[in-house]
Amino acid sequence: MAMLLAGGVGSRLNILASKRAKPAIPYGGIYRIIDFTMSNITNTNIDVVGILTQYKPLSLMEHLDNGRPWDLFGRTRLVEILPPKTGEEIFDWYKGTSDAVYQNLGFIEDFSPEYVLVVSGDHIYYMNYNFLWTFHKEKKAEVTICLIRVPEDQAHNFGIAVTDEYSRIVDWEEKPKRPKSNLASMGIYMFKMNVLREALREAARIGGTDFARHVMPIMLRNNRVFGFEFKDYWRDVGTIDAYWNANMDIIRPNAGLNIEAWQIKTNLSVKGEIGDRPSTYFSRICRVLNSLISRGCIIEGTVRNSILSPGVKIGKDATICDSVIFHDVTIGPNSLVNKAIIDKNVVIGKAVQIGIGRSVPNQKFPDQLFTDITMIGKNAKIAPDIQIGKNCIINPNVNLMGINVIESGITV
Amino acid sequence: MVLAGGRVDELLCLTEKRPKAAIPIYGIYRIIDFVLSNMMHSGIDNVGVLSQYRPYSLMRHIGTGEHWDFIGRKRGIRILPPYRGLKESDWYKGTADAVYQNISYIEEFNPEHILIAAADHIYHMHYQSLIQFHIENNADATVCFTEVKSKTDRFGYGVIDKHSIINQYIEKPETPPSAWVSMTVYLFKTQFLIDILKDNATQPSHEFGRDIIPKLVGKSRLFGYKFTDYWAYARTLASYFDTNMDLLKGKIPLKDWQIRTNLVEGCEKSDRLPARIDGEASNSVISDGCVVLGKVENSILSPGVLVEKGVEIVDSIIFHDTKIKRNAQLKRVICDKNSWIGENATIGTFGEKVSSKEFGDLLNYGVTVLGKNSFIPNNAKIGSNTVVYSSAEIKNEVIEPGSVLR
Repeated sequence: MAMLLAGGVGSRLNILASKRAKPAIPYGGIYRIIDFTMSNITNTNIDVVGILTQYKPLSLMEHLDNGRPWDLFGRTRLVEILPPKTGEEIFDWYKGTSDAVYQNLGFIEDFSPEYVLVVSGDHIYYMNYNFLWTFHKEKKAEVTICLIRVPEDQAHNFGIAVTDEYSRIVDWEEKPKRPKSNLASMGIYMFKMNVLREALREAARIGGTDFARHVMPIMLRNNRVFGFEFKDYWRDVGTIDAYWNANMDIIRPNAGLNIEAWQIKTNLSVKGEIGDRPSTYFSRICRVLNSLISRGCIIEGTVRNSILSPGVKIGKDATICDSVIFHDVTIGPNSLVNKAIIDKNVVIGKAVQIGIGRSVPNQKFPDQLFTDITMIGKNAKIAPDIQIGKNCIINPNVNLMGINVIESGITV
Repeated sequence: MVLAGGRVDELLCLTEKRPKAAIPIYGIYRIIDFVLSNMMHSGIDNVGVLSQYRPYSLMRHIGTGEHWDFIGRKRGIRILPPYRGLKESDWYKGTADAVYQNISYIEEFNPEHILIAAADHIYHMHYQSLIQFHIENNADATVCFTEVKSKTDRFGYGVIDKHSIINQYIEKPETPPSAWVSMTVYLFKTQFLIDILKDNATQPSHEFGRDIIPKLVGKSRLFGYKFTDYWAYARTLASYFDTNMDLLKGKIPLKDWQIRTNLVEGCEKSDRLPARIDGEASNSVISDGCVVLGKVENSILSPGVLVEKGVEIVDSIIFHDTKIKRNAQLKRVICDKNSWIGENATIGTFGEKVSSKEFGDLLNYGVTVLGKNSFIPNNAKIGSNTVVYSSAEIKNEVIEPGSVLR
């Protein structure tokens, strides 16, 4: 069985995560980020998944539904949403990753698993966990952590492991100032159940709540801890730039991402949608280059190097470049959208220009938005003829009108 | 009750392996989706699907019925294939016989009225207005009619007076008495229907249009309900082709019709990626999972079609997962699922325009039809008005117009 950590706030993703948990953020047109982990789980024939949610879980719960899209549906196959609960002993909000699992030890024990996989729901990758399991058993490990090599200058953002020649982890530091290696934790752990139980209890005794920070040091002291090195495509889409790039990787040749071969499954039926969306209509005057276009779109303009979710309307002579457009966005005639992430249901009037002008970082979030991506929040409306610069943020539900120019780096 | 048994030879290789109701249309749909969605939107809870010709693809498409919300304690959809009982006969001998053999299914639900509709028409209708009309007129039976422009002998024609009473009904007449044709959508009082079906069972022929409706004229409270919105059918290759092309002409407001289909069929391993377009798409409908690197014009592509570089597809309908290799040229082609069209193949444009010797009028519309799993070798040239059945092996590189390959 697997426990999936889906509580991430994803605060560095700014307005993308303001109304939904990070694993529920749309990706690649029709997917949500969690689909990758969910598909890996079902493709590995894991039968039971507990989803640990806490932060804005509504859209995630709707997406996971009854587990049916991933075949996790039946008497012995299930997806169980495990929100925080009160009324039992000390139980309360989840105080961290390991605390969330600790508070649900009872759920895990119902199934008496010998091994438990703990995974995070916010990464884009393909992995057959059976290889991890085999490795885990061969090494007679009590916990195995998946590791990936990251650029040296980014190592300080991760949990960093030092392994010996037998892949045993001999040293571990969470987000170290001076990393001793570049082998970073992917947030994927294979535990022997009895070892997990003891470690979680010990951590709880001393007030520990986090796998990387508190449980790992305990296990390193008491248990056989191994590192399983993963060498394929893996992205932690924790920043806006990483999120945008991971989307673009789908249409970049040889980026190492192959969603079809990875057999990724998603939930195509959206609650409340009365009919299915028809296939996309491409008009006589449209032009589409190197783009991914979902069902139910109407394309009358030019789309280049972009990813469109279902139901997007691109008006006549509008041009969309290097952008990620979510569901049911309407872009008016003669508009220009350049390197933008546009959230659901945004309505953009005619002759609007987005992503033009000087390249200056966002003034409010200079460390989040500095690669010229402009973001427009869910349900925002942009009146005709407005010009919006680079690295701008238009917040959800903003009705932008009565203004001509939003300079680069401005947040509305 | 949905009449989905029909096979019709007029659709040639498209109905070789499936009933007409299961033919793909407009990219992601099958023809039966229209009647099922209409029933769902009309608040009908229980649907029986009468099917006997190769029902597998239909059964797979309908699945549990969840895609049309026909799932629950008091909601359901059942495929009703022929069966053998102690006394009961075996194959359905006609539309009326199919319903007759399933009277016990109907009686289980004890409905006051029963709707019977053919599965092979394309329209959007709220049956509740029909039901209201039927009840207001205290009708024993109500037949839906639509007005046609060109009177052909393929329909059943009705003459309806100003009180909506059907005064005359003739099936496939030489000279039609009106422009109003039956849509094969009937609403009956259940007990009335059971009585006439029992009576019909003793007769030699068992078709609603031919044997039941004409006999009710002047004897029972038989009413005609006029439907005036878009209605299309696919009884011949030409009408199937034109019905598809109506979508590109904007005649069909698919989005407003809110049609549901089974989107996960054939996606057991993974969902289809959104369409990847890096070529030319002009006045075309392109479905999920397509990869378009060549040119697609005035065409409809079902999910999973590959269009390689240099390919030109014009005025064509391509079903699921067909692969079209480099520089192939297709014009006015209907290509069934899972076919493979080799490099530099030319289909539909080659040679003079002659109609099919074997099929005559059925295949004179300048359309070339390729059956399921067709394999067209590199450099092949295939003329128009040609049909390639799915078991056919193409040995010659040149197939003259009007050919039939089996």
